[in-house]
Amino acid sequence: MEQQQLFARYQDLQKYVGWTEEDSGRITAVAALVEPHIAGLIDDFYAEISRHPAAGKVITGGEAQVQRLKGTLRAWLTQLFAGKYDSNYVLARWKVGLRHVEIGLDQVYTNVALSRIRNGLLEVMCHSWRGPLPELALTVKALNRLLDLDLAIIEDAYQYEFLQRQKRIERLVVLGQMASGIAHELRNPLNVVRTSVFFLQNAKNASAEKKNEHLDRIGRQVAVANDVITALSDFAKLPLPNAEPVHVRDLLAEVLSGVDLPKSISPSIACDDQLPAIVGDRRQLAIVFGNLIRNAVDAMPQGGQLCLRTVPDGLCLRVEIQDTGHGISQEDIHRIFEPFFSTKARGLGLGLAITKAIVDNHRGQLLVTSQPGQGTCFTVRLEGSTVA
Amino acid sequence: MSHKPPSILVVDDEPDICANLRDILSEFGYRVDTATSGASALELVDRGNYDVALLDLKMPGMSGVELFREIKSRSSGTVAVIISAYASTSSAEEALQAGAWQILSKPVDIAQVMQCIDEAVNQPLVMLVDDDEDLCDSLWDVLRSQGIRVKLAHNVASANKALQDQDYQVAIVDLKLPGGDGLRLCAEIREMNPGAKTILVTGFRTELEQRAGQYSGVDATCYKPFDVSELLATIRRLTNAQPK
Repeated sequence: MEQQQLFARYQDLQKYVGWTEEDSGRITAVAALVEPHIAGLIDDFYAEISRHPAAGKVITGGEAQVQRLKGTLRAWLTQLFAGKYDSNYVLARWKVGLRHVEIGLDQVYTNVALSRIRNGLLEVMCHSWRGPLPELALTVKALNRLLDLDLAIIEDAYQYEFLQRQKRIERLVVLGQMASGIAHELRNPLNVVRTSVFFLQNAKNASAEKKNEHLDRIGRQVAVANDVITALSDFAKLPLPNAEPVHVRDLLAEVLSGVDLPKSISPSIACDDQLPAIVGDRRQLAIVFGNLIRNAVDAMPQGGQLCLRTVPDGLCLRVEIQDTGHGISQEDIHRIFEPFFSTKARGLGLGLAITKAIVDNHRGQLLVTSQPGQGTCFTVRLEGSTVA
Repeated sequence: MSHKPPSILVVDDEPDICANLRDILSEFGYRVDTATSGASALELVDRGNYDVALLDLKMPGMSGVELFREIKSRSSGTVAVIISAYASTSSAEEALQAGAWQILSKPVDIAQVMQCIDEAVNQPLVMLVDDDEDLCDSLWDVLRSQGIRVKLAHNVASANKALQDQDYQVAIVDLKLPGGDGLRLCAEIREMNPGAKTILVTGFRTELEQRAGQYSGVDATCYKPFDVSELLATIRRLTNAQPK
C-alpha cells in the first residue's frame, strides 16, 4: 500500500477514535516523565517473550538479535511520545505488521505484548504523576487511543501481507493444476503424432493408402493440439458481453438441439410462454447453457433425466439445469469453478470457470446444489438490471 | 519363450492411438486387438487371452487402474502396462501397487513399448491352482513382484481351460482341489503341456507320504504353510530363471 494512502487511512481512524491535537500535546507532555522507565519496560518486554515458546521461537539470532530488537522497541517508544503523527510515523507501524508476517509471529502475541507495554506505561505514568488528577485521566485516555491506533495499523498490515502471501500460494496451485491439465491435453495428440511418425519411418511394407492414413492422423491431431491453445487464449481474454435481447426459451431449445444426447437421457424444457426477453450476450449465454447441459449429460453415463427450467424471481430470472446423475462430492463442490479443475478424463477443466466468468460479466449469479448419487442442479440467476 | 507371437490388447479412448499402435505392433509381428473403452476391453479379455495389456491411465467411464483390476480378476496371467500423460501421479502409483508391470509416459516411445512387451513375455509363466483365493492373491503379489507371471485357477475345470490356452513353465497345484485331485491334475498337466514342471502343495504331509508311490512324476513338493523364499527358489530352479 502507498504511504499516502496509509496515512489517509490513519487519519480516518484518528477521527474514528476521537483523536485531537490536545491529545497530541498531552502525550508529549509526559514524555520526560516516562523516559527514565523506558529501559526497564523494554527489558520486561523481552523477558516475558522468552517465557513463551510460541512467541520466543521467532527470535532465532540469540542475544545479538534481542539487543537489536530492543533498539527497535526503544525507537518505537520514542516516536510514540514525540508527538509527530505523520505519514512516516504510520509507515513505521505498518512495517512492524509486515515484519510479523515475515517472521511468522502469531498475531495474538502482538496483542498481549502491546497490552503489557500499555500497562507498564500507564503504571509509571500514574506513579510519577505530580499534576492535577483530571488531567492525568485525560492523558491516560490519550495514550490508550494512540496505542489502539498503533495496534490497528499493525494488524491491518499483518492482514494485508498475510492475504498477499496466501494469494501467491494460490496462484502457484492454479499454475500447477494448469500445467498438469495442459500436459494431459497436449500429450494425447502428441502421442498419436509421435507414433504415426514412427510408423512412417519404420514400416517397410506400408501401402500408400496406409501412409496417407497416418499423415491424415498427424494433421488431425495437430489441429486438436492447436484447439487446446485456442481454448486457453479464449479463456484468458473473454470479451465483454454484448447487450441484446435474448429469449431464454428459444436459446435453451437451440443449445439443447446442438448437444449430442444419448438415447438413455430424456430432456425436458419447462418455460413460461410469456417469459420476457432478458438483456445479455446471446453467443456467450449459449456457451453458459451449453457447458451446463454437457456437464449434466456427462454426469449421467447410465442415462437419466435432464430438466431445463426457468423460474421468475422478482425482477430476476432463474434458469435451472438439473440432472439425475452421479452428483458432485463434498470435497469437489468448492473447487468446481476453479480453472483447470476437472474430474473428467478429457478436457482442460475450463468449462465451469468460463461459465462462471460469463455469468459474472452479466452481473448474474451461478449457483449449484448437488446430492451425491442423486443429481445436481445448476442455477443461472440473471440479475434485475439485465431483464428487459 | 512362447512360440506364438505375443498377443497385445491396446486400450485407449483415443481411436487414433489405438489405430497407430495396431499398425505398428502388427508390422513388428505382434497380434494386436484394440478397444476404446473399459467395457469393450473386458469383452475382449473374456474371449481372448492376452499376454500384455497396454492401458491408458485416464479414460472416461473406467480408468486404466480400475480396468487393470478387472482384467487381473478375469485374466490373472496378463501383464499390464499403464500409459500415462503425467510424469507421476497418485493413480499411476496405485496401479503399480495393484501389480501393474510398468508405467510408460505419453507421448510413448515405440522402441520402449516393444522392449517392455518383450520383457513382459519373457518372464516365467506360472499356473497356481488352489481353491484358497486369499492364498492365491497373496502369492500372485509375491510372484508378480519377483517378475513372474501368474495365472490363477481355483479348481480343476478352470485349470484345464487355462492349459488349453497357453503353455506354462511351472504349475503349482494344491493336493486337495474342488472337483478333482491335485495328483491327477499334475499328471494331466504333464500330458497336455509336456514342458511344464509341477510343484505339488499340501498341508497334509502324512497323506502325501502315504501316497508316495503315486507322485513320482511331480518335480517338487511343498508343505503348507510354506516358506515363500523356498518356493521362489524352487520356481527359479525349475524355470532356470535368474532372479529379477
